[in-house]
Parts: sequence; structure tokens; C-alpha cells
Amino acid sequence: MIFLAAQVLPGDVARRILGPFADQASVDALSKELGTDRSLPAQYWDWVSSFVTGDLGQSAVNKRPVSEIIVDATVASGKLALLAFIIVVPLAIVGGVIAAMNEGSFRDRLISVGGLSATAIPEFVWAVIFILIFALGLGLFPTTAQFPDGASIFTQLEYLLLPALCLVCVLFGYIARMARAGTIESLEADYTRTAILKGLPQRTVIRRHVLRNSLLPTIAVVATQAGYLIGGLVIIEAIFNYQGIGLAMFRAATQKDLPVLQSAVLLIGIVYLVATLIADILYSVLNPRVRLGAAE
Amino acid sequence: MRKDEIQRQVDVVRSQRSELENHIIDEYRSGYIGRREFMRRGAVVGMSLPLVGFLASACGSAEKSGSSSDGAESNKAAVSKGGVVKSGLQLPGSDLDPIKVNNQGALGTLGQSGEFLIFSDSQLKAVPRLAESWEPNEDGSQWTFKIRQGVKFQDGKPMTAEDVAATFNLHADPDNGSNALSAFTGVLSKGGAQATDDSTVVFELDAPNGNFPFNTSSDNYNLIILPKGFDPTTWPKNFQGTGPWKLEKYTPNVGVTYTKNPDYWDKTRQPLPDRNEIKFYEQEEAALLGIQGGEVDLLAQFSAVNGKALLNDPNINVIELRASQHRQLHMRTDQEPFNDKRVRQAVALLINRDNIVKGLLEEKSDYGNDSPFAPVYPTTDKTVAQRKQDVEKAKALLADAGKSSFDIELRTWRVFEVPQYAALVQNDLKAAGINVKLNVTDSASYYGDAVYGKSPWLDSSFGITEYGHRGVPNVFLGAPLKSDGTWNSAHFKNKEYDKLANEYVAALDLQSQRTAAKKIQEMLLDEVPIIFSYFYFYLSATTPTLAGVNVSAMGQVDVSQAGQKA
Repeated sequence: MIFLAAQVLPGDVARRILGPFADQASVDALSKELGTDRSLPAQYWDWVSSFVTGDLGQSAVNKRPVSEIIVDATVASGKLALLAFIIVVPLAIVGGVIAAMNEGSFRDRLISVGGLSATAIPEFVWAVIFILIFALGLGLFPTTAQFPDGASIFTQLEYLLLPALCLVCVLFGYIARMARAGTIESLEADYTRTAILKGLPQRTVIRRHVLRNSLLPTIAVVATQAGYLIGGLVIIEAIFNYQGIGLAMFRAATQKDLPVLQSAVLLIGIVYLVATLIADILYSVLNPRVRLGAAE
Repeated sequence: MRKDEIQRQVDVVRSQRSELENHIIDEYRSGYIGRREFMRRGAVVGMSLPLVGFLASACGSAEKSGSSSDGAESNKAAVSKGGVVKSGLQLPGSDLDPIKVNNQGALGTLGQSGEFLIFSDSQLKAVPRLAESWEPNEDGSQWTFKIRQGVKFQDGKPMTAEDVAATFNLHADPDNGSNALSAFTGVLSKGGAQATDDSTVVFELDAPNGNFPFNTSSDNYNLIILPKGFDPTTWPKNFQGTGPWKLEKYTPNVGVTYTKNPDYWDKTRQPLPDRNEIKFYEQEEAALLGIQGGEVDLLAQFSAVNGKALLNDPNINVIELRASQHRQLHMRTDQEPFNDKRVRQAVALLINRDNIVKGLLEEKSDYGNDSPFAPVYPTTDKTVAQRKQDVEKAKALLADAGKSSFDIELRTWRVFEVPQYAALVQNDLKAAGINVKLNVTDSASYYGDAVYGKSPWLDSSFGITEYGHRGVPNVFLGAPLKSDGTWNSAHFKNKEYDKLANEYVAALDLQSQRTAAKKIQEMLLDEVPIIFSYFYFYLSATTPTLAGVNVSAMGQVDVSQAGQKA
């Protein structure tokens, strides 16, 4: 699919590499060297046959092994996504629960409306705001996310915090809203009333009866966002000059670097699948009905 | 003798010499001809030997010391040694293979550990580097270069004339896919460079060429000298070359770090900083923030349009160089409605160049006069009248041509200020009833396959294309304008022009070049296949405490003499 779709992109890879002002003879020579002058089925067969043996090939543009490019970029994106996740998931769930328990109050409005407004603002706007205030204004953080080679984990955190915060702003509203809706629903459920009536302390009721039920839809949202966090960070990565998978894929598409593009798309697909799978497993852990239903 | 005393004496001598003699002195000063060539020609036109000798040493400091150029020199004393200089460069678009590189990030990186025969500096002077001197034969069809001795590659092997000849033949061979091939077409063919002994390389050119030294310079940025038999695809592993910086670590897409090359040959340009770090930026916005946030000390290039914040920032020092970089607004001379030259003239008259230079470019630009002869070139004849906006005259021309109003599509792509320029053109043309429909895409869609028939760049009736800086206009005069040119978007075919362009290229002395230049300028002003409205300045930025940086408008960045102000 990707292979065919990429053929629609204008220009060819050798021309992309050498630029419009290079002599046509040079472009032809490079096409021959890269093998992009052969027929499409031949190129595709080449890719598929080496792919199944675990060889992702070489980037057409910079000759590095595709596996190396993809691994480096995925690790980079993974770090950023993980940091954003570590911040946003607990924060949003706590926020959602607090909002639900104070339904209709000022606190609820602040969290719900604030969260949704934050989500409505695109991440690049957040990026600009954060950079202006925290990096240029106060000088607390670097303006880019690309930490120096061999930086310690704390230095890495310092570099990654601003972009992670942008993602937090965008994701907080979604997750908090789901958590809030789920919590309200479980708070009103019969089993919660029963639990309260049978005299369980409020904390136990929340933990054992409310949270467990309210988090189910939240987990589904979190899982789908995981896919977005790995693959959809092009804008944040571009603004913060961070060499993640989003940028790598975007670059591969503009340069028509098929080996990289195909493998990256495949990888993102796998990430989505795995995230959904993890969500399903978590779902069954938290929801005995799914587990027992399957056992029957 | 003190410097100003020498200058005074030179002035006295010059006031007594003929115009022709003064031209030769000018050419020698600007580096167009070498010392020996100057001595030879000086004698031919009748200057006495002691006089030529005096002028040679008084005016030829660059050749004598074999190094140095203005930007760095002026601040040198004030710089403290050691430390790190961090530069921000554009992300290289391809692998760092000297054969393939074609963007500023890549060429800027190449030029740290690699070197050219000649460095084309910010004053458009040819500064000898790996070449000690050069001279043409009678008609400029053969050039002889003396190669510097005692120079070593990063791996310790000596650099010889053999290596130089091999490097040139590598790029001139169509089978190798070199990006420099278009600059060599019609100039140098494979095998044209021959090492006649250890220190001499003779170039047999395809046709006489008075500016050939610039083809061997940093302007032709692929041409860093490599060892004979070197496989250029392995370049990213060791950054082979003879330059002042030695590779420490290269992280693709992220950056490069260098340490000093302890064997660097040029005693006057030993690196002052301990380390040199390059950081790549994919987006200009990120690079602008990088220098404002103090992540880098130097930003190799930025645009006036996106970098307005830097121009007004008191904490940023902006280096501006007049340059020949420009945008070509082509009109297809073989198709309606532009096949009538009156229509083309009218379009050129409708454009408000003041708006562009003063508004869009914040005055960081020269005015263009519809030929590639930028005001920065010494050969440009400045007496040719500047075209200015004249709506009434344009309307009259259109009426004469029977085209008082028409619709036309303008094609271009999103790069720097080009989309805004296109919008200004659209607006200016409205005044005469010309409806311009903008079609602004990405670069791949605009350039297509970059051959006739498969490229909006070359096939569209009306389009804008961006051209980078060159130290001499030869490239601009050839491919985009000559009948057989490979970048001739305007499909301009004019035998008279071809003859003039060849005449200019072949001319060896400034006077004949100027004569040909004037004829070309006048012809293009009348024919207007391409509108050249502006030649914008090359802008670099540094933190205010950094000094001694030497950048060229081509994108070469020399930080060997840079450091924090002492």
C-alpha cells in the first residue's frame, strides 16, 4: 500500500537527493546505483524478500541501515512519549475523579472546561507559548529537545520537559473527561450506593468500586493516544528539532526514501496494535466480566 | 613601511597609469589573476619590472600570506583562545558524500574538515588555499595551478597534485552522479585535469573561461580535495580532507563535533577554539530559537522574512553580506501571452520593487535590474538604468500588444519569502488587469523530475525559482538563459544572447568582461525572459560575544579564528 502510494509522490529519489539543479546524467547514474531505475514490481519484490528475512535494507538517501534509523528515532520518540504519559495519565485521572466527585462545582468546571480548552489549542501553539515563556523569557529550559550526546538522564529530562508538557496539555482534556464521565457513572451506579450503604469507608468505595469501573473507558482512550504519541509527533518534533520517528517518517516521505518510509509505517502499525492489545489485557484484568465471559 | 603609507604610494602610482593598467591592478587585487600572471601582463602592457614588483607586493597580500580574509581578520586580536564554538546549520538533505551534497548544511559541514583549491570569500575574492597560484594560457582555455606542498590529509598522508587532478576528474565523470557536473558542463570534461608533476595541475577546458578559478573554489562546494582513489561514499566515516578541523563524532541528523587538526598546514589560520560543534536544524524556526535561546553561538544563515525577531534583537549580532542570491520570475517566451516581448516588459514594469526590498526584505537586499548581473559583481555595469514601477507605461505596452487583461497561473513553492513575493506580484499585476492565480506547492511538486516536459519549474508559463549565491555570474548566464540551457524555464532562445554569454565567459580581463556584461544587461532588460527584482543579502547571526567568524554568502562557515571576545 505504502509502496504504491509513495509512487504518486512527485519526483524520484535520486532527483530528491541531488536537487533540481543537478545534471540529468548525474541523476540517472544515482538512480542506477540506488536501483530505483528498475520496474516497480522488481523493487517491491526486493523489499519484501529482504524484509521477511529481517533485513530492512538501507536508506536510499543517506545509506544508513534502516533498522538503525528506525530504532534511534523510535527510542527518541519513545522517551518523549513516555515522559508525557508519566505526567499526563495520573494527572488526568486524578483530575477527572476530583471533577466527578465535585460535579457542578467550580473545581469541576475548572478541570473540565480548562482541560477541554487546553486540548482545543493545537500543540504547536502550546510549544510557542512554552518556549516564549520558559525558554526565552525565563531561560529555564533549552529551546530545543535534542539533548547532547551522552547526556545524563536529568539533562535529558530538562530537554524533554517542554515538549512533553505540550503533549500533556493536549492529552489532559481527553483523558480527564473520560475519567470524569466514567467516575460519575459509577458514582451513580447501584453497586456504589450499596457499597456506601453497607458502611464501607469512602476511600475503599472509590478505590474498589468506583475507580475500577470508571477507568475502563479511560484505558481505551489512553491506548489510542499511545499510538498518536509515537507516530503523530511530527509537529512537536519539528518545532523542538527532535529527531524522533514522526520527523523521520515525514522526511522519508518528502525525500521519497521508500525503505525508511515503509518500515516506519509498519512499525507505527505495530505500535498501535500492541497498544490496543495491552489495553485489552488491562481491560480484562480490571473487568472480571470480560475474563469470566471468555472462560465460559 | 606602514600600511597607509604603502596605500598612499599605490594611489600615486595608479593615478599616473593608464586605464588598462589600472584594470590589471584591479584584477590582481580582487584575486582574478595570480601574482605571476599579474607580473606577466603588467610587463606586456609596459609597466616596468620594479613597478610591477612593488605593486605585486603592495596589493597582493592575500596571495603572499596564502590565507586570511576580511571578516575574520578584523576581529582576530580581540578573540580569546580555547573553548567551544557552536554553530547551527541547516540539516543536510542527503548523506554527507562530497559527490552528492547540495544544501547549505551539508556544504558547511564539508568545509570544516575539507578544503578547496581556492576559498571564495565574502568579498568575492579568490583566496588561495590548496592552490598557491594559478594562471591561464593566452585565451583562457588552459589553466595551470600550482599546488601547495607540505599539506596532509586527516589520515596523515601528504596531499599531491595527483589527488587534486583525481578529485576533479571524479566530479567531471558523468558516471559518478556528481552534483558539480552541471557546473562543469561545457567547462571541464572527465580527464581534463592532469597532474604534470607533484605540484602542478593543468586543466584543459572545453572552452575558454576567464572565471575558471571560481569553478575550483568553495563556490563549487562539492569540490573539497580528496585523496586519489578515495571512495566518496565512505566520507561520513572519517570526514577526509585537509582542513583545520578533525572529526570527533558525527551523529546523522543531529550534528558533528570536531577537534583541532594538529597537522593543519596554514600557520596563520591554526584553529583558536579547542572544539567546533555543529548542530543541525531541520526547521528555520527551531534554528532561530536556538540562537535566541543560546543553544548555538552562530547561526550560519537565516532569512529576513522569518528572522525579523533576530534583526531587532539587541542580543544578536547580525552579519550581512551582499550577495548574488535571488529569485527568478520566468515568463515563457515561446507561448501566449508572454511570446510578445511588450507583455513581458509590462509585467516587469508593474512590479513594485520598493515594496519588495523595503517591505518584504527589510532592506536586506539589493535591487535587481532583470539580468543576473547583481550589483555585488565587479563586472556589473552600474550605468544601465534601473527599471522602476511604471503602471501607465505598462498599460500602454499591454494595449499595444492587444492584451489589456488576461488570466495567468503563477507557479512556485513554499521556501523562505517566495510565497509572499508571489503574492506581491499577484497584487502588482492587478493594476493592469492581469489576474494571477497562485499555485504554490512543495518543492517536489514544483521541480518534478527537473527535466523538460516533466517539471512545472521548466514547463510553466510563469513561475518563481530560487537561486543561491555564486561568486561569478557564469552559472546564471548559462543554464537558465542560453538556448541549450538545462534550466531554461523561460524557453529563451536567442543566438545573439548566446554569443554574448560565451564572450563574457571567455573574457579574461575585467574590461572585456564589463563590455560584454553591459551588452547582456541591456539585452535582457529589453527582452525580459526573466524578472530579477532583487538580490537579497546573506544573513548570519552570532551572539554578541562571539567574534572572528568568517562566513561566505555561499554558506561556508569558518570558525577557525573565532572565539569569545577577550
